[in-house]
Parts: sequence; C-alpha cells; structure tokens
Amino acid sequence: MPKPTTIAELRSLVAAWTPAPPMRGGGGIATGVPAIDAALGGGLPRGRVTELVSAAPSSGGELVLAALLASTRAARLRVALIDAADGFAPRSHRADLLRHLVWVRPRSLPEAMECADLLVRDGNYAAIVLDARGVPARILRQQPAGAWHRLRLAAEQNPGAVLVQSAAGVVPAVLWRLVLRTPAGLGDLRRTRAERAAGLAVEVERGHAGAGEELAG
Amino acid sequence: MKFAALWVPDFSLMAVRRGEPALAGRPVALVAGEGRKAVVREASPEALRVTPGLAVPLAAARCPGLLLRERDPAAEVEMQRLLLAAAFALSPRVESTAQGCCTVDLQGADAARTEAALHRQVLDLRELGVPVRIGAGGTPLLARYAARRADPVLIVRDRGAFLGPLPLAFAGPSPQQAAVLEAWGIRTLGGLTALPKAELGDRMGPEGVALWERANGESPAVLRLAEPSRTFVATWNYEPPVESVEPLLFKLRRFAERVALELRSAGLVADGLSLSLLLEDETDYYRQFGLPEPGADVDSWLRVLQTHLDTVRLKERVAGVRLVATPARPEQRQDGLFDTGLADPNSFWENLARLSALVGDGRVGTPVPLDSHAPDAFRLERPAAAVPAPEVPPVHPPRGGVLRRFRPSLPARVRCGDAGPVALEGAVRGDVRVSLGPRILRGDWWKSGAWAVEIWQVELAGGGLYQLTRNAQGWWIEGVID
Repeated sequence: MPKPTTIAELRSLVAAWTPAPPMRGGGGIATGVPAIDAALGGGLPRGRVTELVSAAPSSGGELVLAALLASTRAARLRVALIDAADGFAPRSHRADLLRHLVWVRPRSLPEAMECADLLVRDGNYAAIVLDARGVPARILRQQPAGAWHRLRLAAEQNPGAVLVQSAAGVVPAVLWRLVLRTPAGLGDLRRTRAERAAGLAVEVERGHAGAGEELAG
Repeated sequence: MKFAALWVPDFSLMAVRRGEPALAGRPVALVAGEGRKAVVREASPEALRVTPGLAVPLAAARCPGLLLRERDPAAEVEMQRLLLAAAFALSPRVESTAQGCCTVDLQGADAARTEAALHRQVLDLRELGVPVRIGAGGTPLLARYAARRADPVLIVRDRGAFLGPLPLAFAGPSPQQAAVLEAWGIRTLGGLTALPKAELGDRMGPEGVALWERANGESPAVLRLAEPSRTFVATWNYEPPVESVEPLLFKLRRFAERVALELRSAGLVADGLSLSLLLEDETDYYRQFGLPEPGADVDSWLRVLQTHLDTVRLKERVAGVRLVATPARPEQRQDGLFDTGLADPNSFWENLARLSALVGDGRVGTPVPLDSHAPDAFRLERPAAAVPAPEVPPVHPPRGGVLRRFRPSLPARVRCGDAGPVALEGAVRGDVRVSLGPRILRGDWWKSGAWAVEIWQVELAGGGLYQLTRNAQGWWIEGVID
C-alpha cells in the first residue's frame, strides 16, 4: 500500500481503516408528516438518532407519532415505542394501526434507556421511538450524556431509525433536531388527522446538510 | 443471576502463551525485573513448585526446563479485546473491569438460556486459547468472586454459603486491616460478616465498613459500560521480522478469531478483508479481498488469505501485519410463505423476554383497545411474529386530537361557569379560553361496578388542549390532546 502524500489520500486511508457504519442506505422511514419528511430528506434516517422537541403543549408530538404508526403500518414495518412517562393512549388509535407496534412501559428514565439500548441493537425494528416527554426536566438532566452517546453509537450500527421525543432538547450532538412550537386549538380538532399532519409546521433547530444525500445512497 | 464475570487467571502469561503455540503444555514463567532482581510474576501450572515472587535462579533450579518470558503488552491488549468481544456476545451491557476481567450485566436475561450460553462461551474461548472462568451472581462483586472459584463456570445461588468459607484476601483488606483481623482470629469472609457491621465500623472506621460490605459481596450494581468495537482491525509488529508465511498465518488466524467474534457480537459479518504487510524497508504491501459470501467464518477468511500469501514473493522481510474486516449486515432473506417476518427471530423473542424481565410483566406488548367505552381500556398482547396486511381504511378518516395520558390522572381544581370550566388550578393551571363538553360515558350499569364519567375538552388561554373528566370523586386531568 503506497504511503499517502496528500491530505485527500490520508483521509481515504483513514476511511479505509475506520469504515463508516454500514447502515446508511435503504431510504428513510416516512413519518407521514410532509414537513418532517421534507426536512429530513425522505423520512427518519436509518441508523441515526433524530430528536423531535414538542416545545409547547398540544404542538403535535403525539400527532406525529400517530402519523408514523399509520405510515409504518401501511408499509408493514415493525415499530417499538419506549414510553418513558407512560403516556401513550391506545384508545386514541384504530386497533389495526397498532398491530405492528411493540409498546414498552418502563418505570423510570434509566430503565427506558436500557430498553432503548436493547431495542436499537435488535435489528427487527424499522423505527424505535423513545418518548421522553412527561419526564421531569430534573430527571432528564441527571441522565449522563454518555448514555445518549451510547444510544447514538448503537443506532449507527443498526438498521432502525431512532426518534427521541422530548419537551426540550435533551440529546447531545444529535444529527437532526426538529421543533414543534405551535399549539393546536380546539377548532383544529374538527379537521381530519391527515389534514392536521399535513399542516404541521416544523422548525429545524439542528440539521446535518449531508444526511439527505446519505439516505439517497 | 444478575451479573457474570469473565476472568482469565494469570492473564499476562496466558496472553504470551496464546501468541506462542510452542509454549503449550510446557513449564513457563513470566519474569518481572532485570538482572539479579528478576522474579517470577506468573507461572504456568506445569511449572511445579514455582510460585510468584520467587527469584528467577531459584525458580530455574526448582523446575528444570522452565521457559522464561517477559510480558507482552500487545498480546495482552489483543486478548483483552477478545474477552470483551465474548462478553458482548452475552449482553450489550459490559464493563471492562480490569486486565483479564469483564463484568456483564445479565439482568432480564432468561436464566436457563444464559447458563447454557456461559458454558458455551467457556468452550468457545478455550478453543481460541483463552482459559477463561466465568462466575455469576447477584452483584458484580459476587460474580467476580465466583469467577475466581469457578471451574470453569460457577453460579452463586446461595450467597451466604458461597461467601462464608472464602479466605479474607478475597475482600482485599489493607495490610493493617489484615493484621488486626488476624489477631482477632478472623480468616474467612464468613467470619468477618458474622461481626455486626456497625460495631466493626466503630472499631475500624469507614474503611472497616467498606471491607465488611466487600466481604458480604456488596457492590453498586452500576457498571462503567464499554462500547462494542466499531472498527474491526488488528495490527502486529514482528520483532525480529519474519521471512516465512507460517508465523504470518498463525498471527492472522489469531486476529481473525478476535475480529470475527467482535463482528458476531455486533450482529455483523465481513464482506471484505484488507491486508497490509509492513516490510523491513518501511514500504507496504497492501491487498484487498472481496469475500465470496459475506460472513464471519475464520476458516474461510484464512483460506482466502493463505491462497494469496502462498503466491506472494517479497524482497524484504515482514516487520508488521495489519488486517481490516469491512463490516456489513448479514443478508436478509426475502419473506416466504412460511417465514416469520422477522429478520432475526431469536434476537426478537429474546429481547422481548429481557424487556419483560426489566420493566415487569404486563408492561411490554402490542396494545389492543378493548371493546368497551371505559377510558383507557386496553390489553397488551404478545407481538405477532409477522406484521399482518393492513385492513381497509375506514370510510370516514379519524378526526380530533390524539390523547397523551397522564397515568394516573392528575387531580384538578376546576372553576366552573354556566357553560362549563372557566379556569384550572393544580398541576396544570390557567384560564379556559374555549371548552367542549360534557360527553357522558357510562358502563357496567348492569352489574355492581357501574361507572359514569363526564368528559370535557378545554383550550387554555396560554395554549394547550387538555381532556378533563369529572366523576363522583371530583375533577381530573386525563391528559393532553396533541
């Protein structure tokens, strides 16, 4: 092997020695929310952690989850929901839209992180949702950054897309962080869920310019 | 059995032996220090009457034919990585506790299957030249004690019976503590834990309490988690450089064994290999190989490498070697008529069992709303092995919000006007801008557990939609409408 003489050669050599995580291709997991899918370049990126912040109550976090469940159900993909605050309401969804869902109800945030660790490495789930909304901010702050880092590394080695839902940004160094800020009004509930999802406004607080291209590859 | 410890006795010596096959079955001692101060650090079981700390000339006199070696840090790193990869095959939660020791968090794992996996792991590692012992117990420390007594696997089911006869040295007393306890006639962990902990603390201070807890096998159940390997690389420098292909192949086999185990533990396979040979004149010989079928089979890798190396003629001797495996996901099969719909059924069902053990029964599964009007009526079912085809969507698409519940519902103080709630107080507070309701739900009126509830939806002036219920006990905030 010739010795590198330029920075470009050195970079390609380092890339050969430390190969990138294998799970990039295969397209994203469509959430069924056009604004999110457009922002992420085709849906939740596989092998990556995406954070969705519901900055205001009733700003649509649960609606996004419902849309994701509908979209993955149509594609017959399996989804895991780790519900750290035990807030998921099955009766808000049609029974048929839950048949691909594995709902995990941990009793604490550390337990939820352990569950996420197992599920992300499982390899059978197209999407793993860790819902940390409703977990007190004090508890979230106590969670060591290393645990999120570990989750991110595990996600990179596996085919599933990881979505963390929170009330304030909690995942350090996350590739994508999207924010929902607009609370719904009672009048909005007269529209169908699909119409509401189509009108959902999403703000990209943190985004990785190259991620969309990676997904296409 | 919550934790397991993988332990290699005489780790440094075993690392040297693993890299030098000629040492197998012969008396070997690892030497520390130089010249007249050199002493034996570790000795193989074949080196009869040679004990650590013995001066080298004395050791050689006691055991004719004794082979002396120095520590090999590179070989130790290689064997520690192998041990870590084996630990990751048991659980993703692994601590690299010390040289030659890894602790594994097995909480939630099926006990019978895990016990079988521990025995299998011992056999696999011994085949790779690692004489591992495995102990398991309720705490990390107990598991490590058990590993030191294992032959080759020991699972501690009765903590008291196991710890009682162990020598005091297991708990690592300081020389002062050891002297005091010896004077008291205490020589075992059982003897120490028979003393009242508080009174021991009065006499020996906090260090005495810590010693008592160690003697009782107590340790925090928190592990400093290690990360599984993300690069699958092995490097070795030969001193002196080698000329023939045999030492190269031997080292490549050792590398391949470790890298393949790391790949398997991460659920990956290799779809290519790259080999670099560093030559004596500081030039490199580099070659990439595509594998006919992606996999983690050491023999097939070696066949590819050997076939190539047999044809290579180099002008210089080989001073170093580097092997890199390119990771890939195992090929997934297309679903067939009798397929389960799971890419990895074993992992799926095993992880579900672990999750159940972790979060409790009845807290993992596929939710199914019950045929009832009662709020929050659902059951959890075992997930289907295959995701069924979706039903035809309803003619009228769903409207309204999606509820996110507070479990249990939060008690609320609600001020009411003529048209319903006008303000909330309590965990959620604010003036109500608009309200919708009441919707009355009743159920089980034909039997003793009859219930009735009034449901309101309110929009607060400061933003946020909430679902309220009122029953005989008062007002409750049931959740956020999202």
